[in-house]
Amino acid sequence: MARLELEPTIGELLDRQGVSRRSFFKYCTAMASLLALPPLAARAMAEQLLAARRPSVIYLSFQECTGCLESLTRSFAPTIENLIFNVVSLDYDDTLMAAAGAQAEQAREQAMRANYGKYLLVVDGAVPTGDGGVYHCAAGRTGLDILATCAKGAAAIVCVGTCASFGGLPSADPNPTDARAISTLVPGKPVVNVSGCPPIPEVIAGTLLQYVTSGRVPDLDEHLRPTVFFGNSIHDRCYRRPFYDQGKFAKTFDDAGARNGWCLYELGCKGPTTYNACATVKWNNAVSFPIQSGHPCLGCAEPDFWDHGSFYSPIPSPRWGKAGEVSPAQAGAIAAGAAVAGAAIGVGSVLLGRRRIARRQQEPKSQSDKGNEE
Amino acid sequence: MNRSSVEFHANLAADEVALGERERVAGAMRAFTREIGALSALRLESCVHCGMCADACHFYIATEDPQYTPVLKVEPFKQAFKREAGAFAPFFRWFALKRRVTADELERWQHLLFDSCNMCGRCSLICPMGIDVAELIEQARRGLFEAGLAPKELYEKAAHQRRTGQPEASSEPYRDRLLAIGWQFKVEMPLDKPQAEVMLTVPRTDIEHYPAAVAALARVMAHLKADCTFRSDGLIAENYGYYAGGRDWQREISLRLIDQALACKAKVLIVPECGHAYSALRWEAAELIGKPLPFKVRHVTEFLAEALADGRLKLRSADLGVTAFHDPCQLVRKGGVTSAPRQLLHAMGVKPRETTRHVGFNVCCGGGGGVLDIERAAPLRYRVVEEKFHEIDGTGARTFLTSCSDCRRTFDDGKQRFNWQQTPRSLLELVAEHLQGG
Amino acid sequence: MDLVDFARGPALKVAFVIFFIGVVWRLVNVLLLHHRRNLSEPRRGVAESVFGGLKAMGSRSWPHPEFIKRTITGEALGYSYHIGLFIVILLFAPHIIFFGSFIGVRWPALPNGVVTIFAVITVTLFVAVLFRRLAHPVLRRLSNFDDFFSWFVVALLLVTGLMATAHVGAPYPTILGLHILSFDLLLIWYPFGKLMHAFYIFPTRAVDGYLLTRKGAPS
Repeated sequence: MARLELEPTIGELLDRQGVSRRSFFKYCTAMASLLALPPLAARAMAEQLLAARRPSVIYLSFQECTGCLESLTRSFAPTIENLIFNVVSLDYDDTLMAAAGAQAEQAREQAMRANYGKYLLVVDGAVPTGDGGVYHCAAGRTGLDILATCAKGAAAIVCVGTCASFGGLPSADPNPTDARAISTLVPGKPVVNVSGCPPIPEVIAGTLLQYVTSGRVPDLDEHLRPTVFFGNSIHDRCYRRPFYDQGKFAKTFDDAGARNGWCLYELGCKGPTTYNACATVKWNNAVSFPIQSGHPCLGCAEPDFWDHGSFYSPIPSPRWGKAGEVSPAQAGAIAAGAAVAGAAIGVGSVLLGRRRIARRQQEPKSQSDKGNEE
Repeated sequence: MNRSSVEFHANLAADEVALGERERVAGAMRAFTREIGALSALRLESCVHCGMCADACHFYIATEDPQYTPVLKVEPFKQAFKREAGAFAPFFRWFALKRRVTADELERWQHLLFDSCNMCGRCSLICPMGIDVAELIEQARRGLFEAGLAPKELYEKAAHQRRTGQPEASSEPYRDRLLAIGWQFKVEMPLDKPQAEVMLTVPRTDIEHYPAAVAALARVMAHLKADCTFRSDGLIAENYGYYAGGRDWQREISLRLIDQALACKAKVLIVPECGHAYSALRWEAAELIGKPLPFKVRHVTEFLAEALADGRLKLRSADLGVTAFHDPCQLVRKGGVTSAPRQLLHAMGVKPRETTRHVGFNVCCGGGGGVLDIERAAPLRYRVVEEKFHEIDGTGARTFLTSCSDCRRTFDDGKQRFNWQQTPRSLLELVAEHLQGG
Repeated sequence: MDLVDFARGPALKVAFVIFFIGVVWRLVNVLLLHHRRNLSEPRRGVAESVFGGLKAMGSRSWPHPEFIKRTITGEALGYSYHIGLFIVILLFAPHIIFFGSFIGVRWPALPNGVVTIFAVITVTLFVAVLFRRLAHPVLRRLSNFDDFFSWFVVALLLVTGLMATAHVGAPYPTILGLHILSFDLLLIWYPFGKLMHAFYIFPTRAVDGYLLTRKGAPS
């Protein structure tokens, strides 16, 4: 603990690195607006941040493609990634850190010991659990083991990317390594999922920043995602929404509708079922996002988005079996088969009914027919 | 057993009273299931419970009592169908989705199927699904008959008619009554000719109440010089087996007439002014005996309209003032005899002032289908006929005509009760009075 | 597998199969029951009677003028909610995609706002229909489980659909899943209840029209 007291505050660090207050305030204002905080809050946030001490961050990578880290580090605005690394003390990240092997592991253990119960665990990638977890090993230990060890002393866990959040690609059907989402493996630990394949860098930064300033886990949706970024669907915030409402749809990628920028719903856009900030925060320094470039949303921020059938099959399409949509021929064949079965059952039920009718005719005649005997 | 209708007493014939509940249900189920076929199944399956048939039914309109909703009257038949031969019959039985038909229920339904339905078929015309509700009711009546629940009056008359050919005992046989009418009205009654082109029948109602109509038939036929005869053993047109719902009895009663027509080698069987007799002979007899009839069945107005068309019949014009005509349900709505009565009226220079609902949509008199005979049904029947009177009065007619003796009788009965100003008259009698050169 | 995938996947498939089995089963059961022969002398020929049958298929869609006064409320309600259902079910873009993938064609949709308005109207009418069924003495007397459950199934579909559009109650994918599930429920219930009237209405009318015309009677 004493060691922490000696840690410089974020303000001191920024001064040391020559970051101007002006650009820091600009950054805070941007973040505050991203977090949907009132303008005045930006100042409070800046002051809080400047006085705060950087929390220790352990960044673990499991079954992942490093796309999430790429997203974060290659973001257009250098200030963001610089600042994000200025507001946290990234004590372990085997991709980014200079140290390797035993040295690196030592750094991690040291940071964990020093900040036990306080450090933030950031996880990138799903953890394979099949066959004792052997499908992911680092430094002679399985991912499962590493995660368990690191999660134990973590104040909270932030899952970056859909793999860590929901299993993602590694857990896609048939999920050969039995890869799982982090939240299912760390019972009792507060988990924040920042999903997306990859997540928007501003969203990762914003989530971390929000944690640093408030020290609390933010409001989460039912998928443990910060509602401030994942509260609205792409569809609800999409600039092409008016076309959807008017019933104007691109039917192919090259028709007049597509060229006119009409809604991509019929081309399989998953915007309506996908909750993320793409349509508002956008990508590459707010330049564009997939729909704006003419491609339907893949729904990458949602659980199991790999397994929802073709990216180009519209949301309302029936999805029968692994092949995806149903073809008219297939539907017809199934209907015909069912009809034949129905006809067969119908014939059977008629025979039964006729037999019952015949049996009813055998009932002894009542007195009302005694006239017949005359 | 807690019977909700313990105060209800079924109206039963003496030899039907002793039947046990089990026998009643077994009988009903025997008849109901026998009536199940593709056609009735289609109709029973189609109902969406929209309730519109109530708005066509004069019994409902007059009382606003929901129990008179036509399709509801078929409920026991529907229960039998759904439980016995419907597609999902086993489920209906296992999960009691339709209740089992009970003797208690059947007893209560006697009032609905007999007292409050003329099988007039107006409900069949309103049904948006195209269900012939009236025919379902006819089939349901057969179930009640087999359950021993045909109303006493109908049962006894049917039994009597089946045995003797006439629905009730009379001081002198109807055959003698017929001859007496001939003497009284000074018209020759052709009777029991061994061979004739046309066989004539009379309604028992006319013999009992309207002898002039019987005479009119003979007079018109004589005027046309038709080769015709009545037959002692096949005289009465009505079919009480049909009213009572006794399918076999109905067949036997029809057979009596059919046999006589065959015996005298008739080419045409004339149904007199009686609506349900027309339905029974024209449309149902062939099906019941299982083969087409070798002669034609014609209503007397049809026969006369044909004669009018080919010039054999010429009529003098009649001065009747404003005239209204009541279309008997069985002849028009269910029988298709729509133009013949009006052709006859036109030939006499009469242009009837139509009631607001007429021809196929005419509101029934409330007495047909045996209802007139059922004593217990009288109060209900009066409510219906009262409605009808208002409608006829609405035309401002001075003369009121019909061509069904049961309608006429129902109106006369109501007339006495309500001191109605009109006197229903027979179209046939009018024709007989206006024969040119007659 | 999430709710939507379950609803539009295996659940839909099972419902689809049950629907076809049930409908054909029920129709075959009617068709193969004993047919009676018409032995009476017809007043009108076969051609005319068949025409009468065809005519009745359409003409029964509107009551004869003699009846309108008494049935106008039922007619108006019935007509409006059927039209509403038609628009909402068949002219909403996502529904067109859904049904279109079974038959391989898509057709033009109405703007969502218009469909939503119709959906709201239809739900309102549905409430009115239920209220009328409970309040009208004839309808109350006639009604059974089938009437209320069939109402419920369709109403559920309408309400979940509107909730999905309006984002009420739960996240969109959850409501969408429930909406599709309620359609699956409709398919499963369809052959067993009064919803089957869609299959019966025209044959019944045609048969009735044929038989009445054959007798020369009005139909």
